[in-house]
Amino acid sequence: MTNHLQKEVKRETGEGTDLWRVILAPTIWAVHFLVCYVGAAIYCEKAGRMADLLPVRLIVGTATFIALAGLAAVFISLWKVRGLSSVNDDYNYAGNTPEERHRFLSHVALMLCVLSGVAILYAAFPALVLEVCR
Amino acid sequence: MKNEMAHRHGPDQDDPRIRAAQEARLSKAWETHGGWRYWSSVNNSEVGIWYIVTAFGFMLFAGVLGLLIRTQLAVPDNEFLSAETYNQVFTLHGTAMMFLFAVPIFEAVAILILPALLGTRDLPFPRLSAFGYWCFLIGGIFVCGSIFFNAAPSGGWFMYPPLTTKQGGIGADIWLLGLSFIEVASIAAAVELIVGVLKCRPPGMHINLTPLYGWYVLIVGGMILFAFPPLIAGDFLFEMERAFDWPFFDPERGGDPLLWQHLFWIFGHPEVYIIFLPSIALLAMIVPTFAGRPIAGYSWIVLSALGTGFLSFGLWVHHMFATGLPSISLGFFSAASEAVAIPTGIQIFVFIATLMLGKVVRSVPMLFALGALAIFVAGGLTGVMVAVAPFDFQAHDSYFIVAHLHYTLFGGMLFPLVAGIYYYYPLMTGYMMSRRLGVWAFWLMFAGFNICFLPMHLTGMLGMPRRVFTYPEDLGWNTLNLVSTIGAFVFAAGFLVFVFDALRPKSHAEKASRNPWKAGTVEWALELPPRSWGARTIPHIESRYPAWDDHSFMRRYDEGRFYLPDAEEGRREALVTSVLDAQPVQCMRVAGPTWITLATALCLAGVFIFATYHWWTATFISGLLTLCSIVYWLWTGTGEHPEKDEKAIGMGMTAQLYISGPRATGWWAMFITMTGDLTAFLGLIFGYFFFWTVHDQFPPPDIDGPGWTWPLAAGLLLCGSWVLTYGARLWNARGDMLLFRMALLAAVLLALAGIGALVMGPLAHRMDPTAHAYPAIVWALVLWTGAHAAAGVIMQLYCLAASFAGRLTPKYDTDIWNVALYWHFMAFTVFATTLVIGGFPLVS
Amino acid sequence: MHDTKPEITISFGPCLPIAAMGLLLSGCVGRQSALAPAGHDAEQISNLFWVMTAGASIIWALVLGTALAATLGLFKNPTRLTPNILIVGGGVVFPTVILGILLIFGLRLLPNWQSEPDRLQIHVHGEQWWWRVVYRAPDQIEPVISANEIHLPAGQAVEFVLTSADVIHSFWIPSIGGKLDMIPGRTTRLLLEATRPGVYRGVCAEYCGTSHAKMAFAVVVHEPKDFNAWLEDRTSDPNIGTDDPGRKIFLSSGCAACHRIRGLTEIGSVGPDLSHIGSRRTIGAGIAENTPKNLARWITDPAHMKPAVQMPAYRALPPEDIAAIARFLSNLN
Repeated sequence: MTNHLQKEVKRETGEGTDLWRVILAPTIWAVHFLVCYVGAAIYCEKAGRMADLLPVRLIVGTATFIALAGLAAVFISLWKVRGLSSVNDDYNYAGNTPEERHRFLSHVALMLCVLSGVAILYAAFPALVLEVCR
Repeated sequence: MKNEMAHRHGPDQDDPRIRAAQEARLSKAWETHGGWRYWSSVNNSEVGIWYIVTAFGFMLFAGVLGLLIRTQLAVPDNEFLSAETYNQVFTLHGTAMMFLFAVPIFEAVAILILPALLGTRDLPFPRLSAFGYWCFLIGGIFVCGSIFFNAAPSGGWFMYPPLTTKQGGIGADIWLLGLSFIEVASIAAAVELIVGVLKCRPPGMHINLTPLYGWYVLIVGGMILFAFPPLIAGDFLFEMERAFDWPFFDPERGGDPLLWQHLFWIFGHPEVYIIFLPSIALLAMIVPTFAGRPIAGYSWIVLSALGTGFLSFGLWVHHMFATGLPSISLGFFSAASEAVAIPTGIQIFVFIATLMLGKVVRSVPMLFALGALAIFVAGGLTGVMVAVAPFDFQAHDSYFIVAHLHYTLFGGMLFPLVAGIYYYYPLMTGYMMSRRLGVWAFWLMFAGFNICFLPMHLTGMLGMPRRVFTYPEDLGWNTLNLVSTIGAFVFAAGFLVFVFDALRPKSHAEKASRNPWKAGTVEWALELPPRSWGARTIPHIESRYPAWDDHSFMRRYDEGRFYLPDAEEGRREALVTSVLDAQPVQCMRVAGPTWITLATALCLAGVFIFATYHWWTATFISGLLTLCSIVYWLWTGTGEHPEKDEKAIGMGMTAQLYISGPRATGWWAMFITMTGDLTAFLGLIFGYFFFWTVHDQFPPPDIDGPGWTWPLAAGLLLCGSWVLTYGARLWNARGDMLLFRMALLAAVLLALAGIGALVMGPLAHRMDPTAHAYPAIVWALVLWTGAHAAAGVIMQLYCLAASFAGRLTPKYDTDIWNVALYWHFMAFTVFATTLVIGGFPLVS
Repeated sequence: MHDTKPEITISFGPCLPIAAMGLLLSGCVGRQSALAPAGHDAEQISNLFWVMTAGASIIWALVLGTALAATLGLFKNPTRLTPNILIVGGGVVFPTVILGILLIFGLRLLPNWQSEPDRLQIHVHGEQWWWRVVYRAPDQIEPVISANEIHLPAGQAVEFVLTSADVIHSFWIPSIGGKLDMIPGRTTRLLLEATRPGVYRGVCAEYCGTSHAKMAFAVVVHEPKDFNAWLEDRTSDPNIGTDDPGRKIFLSSGCAACHRIRGLTEIGSVGPDLSHIGSRRTIGAGIAENTPKNLARWITDPAHMKPAVQMPAYRALPPEDIAAIARFLSNLN
């Protein structure tokens, strides 16, 4: 790929916080959710409905820990770039510069971290409450 | 260069005669044909209107079915409809409302208004929209028409096997094939709209300035890509079972009915949000206008729409709470179902905050918006209730759910949609809808709706199950049902008032003045009544509400002082811009009227309709004709070499006329289509491993697998084809034509050999797909991968032919770019298929 | 602009006061009502329902009240912070807390039990459109076969083993507890405990074909000792009048090819067991009162009462023969 083309591609996808980074946090939620659900489903299907849930609870606990750590990492990296709007000093980001776009996407990504965190915590609750595969 | 200088200084835009000449040229380029040639139109303003009218037509049809349901249930032990007819009626009511109204109306409205919202003249692939429309129309008529021949599907809109796989007749086939056909239209629309939002925003419209409707469309388009394909995979398995007795869902031969439920609801739940978000998006345009101020929390809306989009994929099992899955599984989905209420709530509070900060102007769209809020919040709250799994054990499949789902769909979809129609009606027709009739329509609809559906919560709690054609008189449900029926007819009356208002002759109607609602967004810069070309000029955007923020905006717009105010070459043109910051990258020539879209849709309809009746020869011929028409379409209508490399687009800028690769819309369309395709494939892989989880031993020890040698050979051959295709693109770019052609030829041969090896695996081991679900799923994967490889071969041959014809050159290389991209996805498919069918039996 | 809409689920529908009273007095019109609980689960869920409904109504009123006030401009001079407080407080913090609590509350009500050997097991097998019922008490050697009616002891947890012969059905006794699907190829298990003796009604809740609406059953909850007596009684043959003319016609008309009558004919297993049909409350799987007249109607033309039913019509038999069969069956108990 020529240098010229690379630059063009870069311009397409943007620099700094791009669309992919915005969906990083919900993607972590999705992976966590799938790991928990698939793990539990396979375990209960293979071990039978009388089986103790302990292994699943451990899987969910570990997955939740890793997911929250991942979210924290994303959160911290976004916290560094976040900032108020460059034009009107609020969270509206109505300015028309690439910098403003960058701040806007970072802000959205940051808030998605919070939402994903809540959803991940919710998903861990069942493992706290339930004891058998019934 | 002289010409460019003229544009930079723009003196010519001061001259009314020059402007008039520009308008004349634009008018000629964007002219809509009259007479029968009108139906060859592809422009979004025609296709969008057809789409909306058709979707509402199906909605009225499904509404009549709803009234039949309510009539039957008005009194106990009613004999108005027979059991069989009733079952067809309720199946078709749900099917048509979901697949022929709720989803298509999103596509319809988006196709119609998105170009205006983005200040542009058309979507990037007008013919694709038209093709999607024709698919939708033909498929819809096919599905709905079946009831007049007493052949309609009667297995419920969810088509649970084994009820539907055991059923005789063609009802279930009509459902499956008719809807698969319509899903094609949905995915076509998703591609169109995603690319539209990402690549066709006007210059300067950074992604943080995109109208909220654009954000919602982008997110919903993405959701369609991940939600519809699992259903397509499910449909594929289902039809293989019905037509060829491959036992995917038959427990006696290793299948499992629950596999269908998973595939169906992985589609089915996101679908609810696919329906809901675009309608809420209309509210996000309406509320700021009537509050007279910008939305109070733009980033909140984007956040919550994105969050909803994601979380909606973690809800599907809440439709299966009563299937006896382990409690822990129910718990996860209960958690996600509760969590999704958070982003949904945020959107509602943003609207309320906007109203609070503004000074609200009363209008019919606002009336419907508030009605929507009242209904939707109630539906959302009952949704939170049924998300609590133990409560759902009682509520599930009872009339409580009927009430809940209608509250969410009416409040989250229909009322906002009607608000949007009232709001955008003047923009599309140049006339205002009647305020008096609007108020009447609203109150009849609002009251009728609540009279009909509010009591159903109680009916359900008193134990009335859904989908019953009648009920006994001694269970305390009689009065409630009668009240519901009365409400349904009141609602219908209100809806007819609305339809009458929209369709009545406009000789006495009030003509709309420009920007009649005093809105701030760019679509209201359009002249009224609308002109065929749409935007007078493609504006340069500097804020979210240019009409409010920039007082010279309208004047400059009318004087054509932005981009592309002219059609010098008499071509339909629009701008392609970069994804994030909307820098112009291309002046794109979009297609004008053509019959090829209708022809292709008719051929494809043949495939699906003949397959319903198992007329395989006719199906095969239709398939061949479809292929021919697609190739003809691509060959004659795409990859055109422009007469010059670049042209001045106004405001002192020039843009290239031809681009390829990741900057071009075509590449993105391929990328997006293949993402959807990959999701469907993953649905099949999911099926394989689903069988593994439910069986003690899978693959079953007494059934021979495809071995590992043939799959390995197939994997290597097809990956070789992939590498050569990629190499061909690079050699072409370097101008090495001989190597390019040799590589492509070799790629074709390798791919053909690979297909052979792939089929040899199960064939050589005499795997009988009707014997057990294991051989069936292996064959399904082989069939899927083989068919995709065959399509890949056709693409390689196309590029080869294009190279010899001089259409594909190092400079004009878009075809090989897109084919190489296809083969990247192909490589993954091959890799996964061969690894699963050849490798997994070795380790399990 | 917008009048006061009735609450989400309260104060609408003429039956509600009765249902609400039913909650207080533990007795309601509904034999099939989730709001007139006669079982452990149903009671918990019913309480959950009322709490959630009350909460939802309050939230609905608050949200709509705020929206309406905002529309009418009743908030004077909101500061720039107001919307943020509203969005963060109302849209984020409040729902996160409430939903979290609700989630945990709901999770604690999910099935979380182990099978126990000394529990009464009732195997219910769904077929289009009736129920095959087999009782297996822990101390009982021979299972008791029955159909379309379920007897339960009050105050004892019973394990239902649910299977299906043909398509997906769903087993639901609203008065006693939640529903559970019966899926071909799978066995699902449901633990229910009836608390209040009485007669209730269960239905199929999953759409299962033409006569889905006609697939119900009676549920009789006894005091434990009455239940044991009933079960004991069912382990013996019914009184079969040896010289009953209906008996001969029953056998000669081919009824026995499908129907079993304990002590008389053990061949048939396609259709419902008729051993003690005389003592059942309903016929046709809960769709008509068990009277000789209804039985005769059923035998003459079952499809008239239950469309697409598998049992053939016996219109060819003389009415007096049908009446004799009906009388004979009515006496089986």
